[in-house]
Amino acid sequence: MHKNSFKKVWGVPIILACITIVGLVLAIEGSQTMRIFAWVLLSIPTYLTIKYGNIGFRHKTKK
Amino acid sequence: MKVTAIQKWYKVHKWTSLICTIFLLMLCLTGLPLIFHEEIEHYFDDIQDAAVLPAGALMPTKDSVVRVAKAANPNKVIQFVAWDEEEHPGQMLIGFNDSALAPPENTKNVVMDLRTAKLLQAEEPSLDFMKIMLYLHVNMFLDIPGTLFLGLMGLLAMIAVVSGVVLYVPIMKRLDFGVIRTEKSERLRWLDLHNVLSIVTLAWLSVVTITGVINTLAQPALMLWRQGQLMEMVEQYKDKPKIEAELSSLDAAISEAQKAAPGMDVSFIAYPGTAFSSNHHYAVFMKGLTPLTSRIIKPALIDAETGSFTDMKDLPWFVQAILISQPFHFGDYGGIPLKIIWAILDIAAIAVLISGLYLWFIRRKAKSDHIARLTQKESLTILALEENDA
Repeated sequence: MHKNSFKKVWGVPIILACITIVGLVLAIEGSQTMRIFAWVLLSIPTYLTIKYGNIGFRHKTKK
Repeated sequence: MKVTAIQKWYKVHKWTSLICTIFLLMLCLTGLPLIFHEEIEHYFDDIQDAAVLPAGALMPTKDSVVRVAKAANPNKVIQFVAWDEEEHPGQMLIGFNDSALAPPENTKNVVMDLRTAKLLQAEEPSLDFMKIMLYLHVNMFLDIPGTLFLGLMGLLAMIAVVSGVVLYVPIMKRLDFGVIRTEKSERLRWLDLHNVLSIVTLAWLSVVTITGVINTLAQPALMLWRQGQLMEMVEQYKDKPKIEAELSSLDAAISEAQKAAPGMDVSFIAYPGTAFSSNHHYAVFMKGLTPLTSRIIKPALIDAETGSFTDMKDLPWFVQAILISQPFHFGDYGGIPLKIIWAILDIAAIAVLISGLYLWFIRRKAKSDHIARLTQKESLTILALEENDA
């Protein structure tokens, strides 16, 4: 695959995967600070699912 | 990627998904209330708060608390006792059952007041909504075979995730991240929605699937531990018959275990002859004090006849791996906000499953329409040829 197209396809997904994994691991450390960090990080992919779900389910295809 | 390779991956994705989708949908739907099982159960239970005693008041011994509970359930045996000063202050949970090895479905949970030795609640085994959700999710009421079957479905789901990631590449080469083509056709709208939701939730989906599959091995792992390490630890007891006499003091067993594991707290105590202990011992499971180490429990075996300490060993790695994987499946380790995140991502997973199913359905329909059009054309041509001939 061309280098630019790799970045184009995988850039955002890899960043989101890292955010999710770090968030999941931080919360188990148990301190309140780490929990808040975890909530902030995990709310990013969570927000995106709501956003895209909203676009995809709301917009009816115009015929 | 070559077209033939894409077609192969598409076939893998289609078939692994088709087989496991219905079960994954069931798991996502039953899992949704299970995320909040503590909150839901707490809302519906009617356990009174434990009594508040003046400072310095004498607490009854755990033995006397257990004795009161036992007197109220003369025909049942105790499988385990547990307490948690943080979550349920002043309460002791006692699990009664028909026999030491009877299945957890038949457990009668008795909640006692640790400070007054009074009975707070006795819950006969019954199948309420949450238990139906739990058993559907864990084994579909089919015991260990059901659990292992769901584990197999989880493995298929993992293959579906990997093949889906492979197929994401050729589709996204010409599209920017997050574009949902809502204006062109129904199929493209659903395809883009399916792709964007699955790639955003990819890491979470993978973690929950893998830890779920690991969890399906919990019962076989427990049996392996019982027949392996536990048997070695109680080697000198192997010819002794199952303990029948009155058991030694529970309070003494607790202090023996605490002596053996300083800086640790009691998680729960399994009674002799149950799946979590030998025929002759209390297994006092000790836990660490931080949220992370509290997951890694360690049993101290106390002779339930003489009350003396027998042995204590770390659980084998495969049991520890299951214990550590559990919070990452349940989502119960980061407070209510984490549970809400878990619920939203679970709903996103349901949307991925349904959109995938819908895509398969309309693709099939498009194919059969296409074939119908082709055959129609063909028959028209044949008709025309026949007319020419006539």
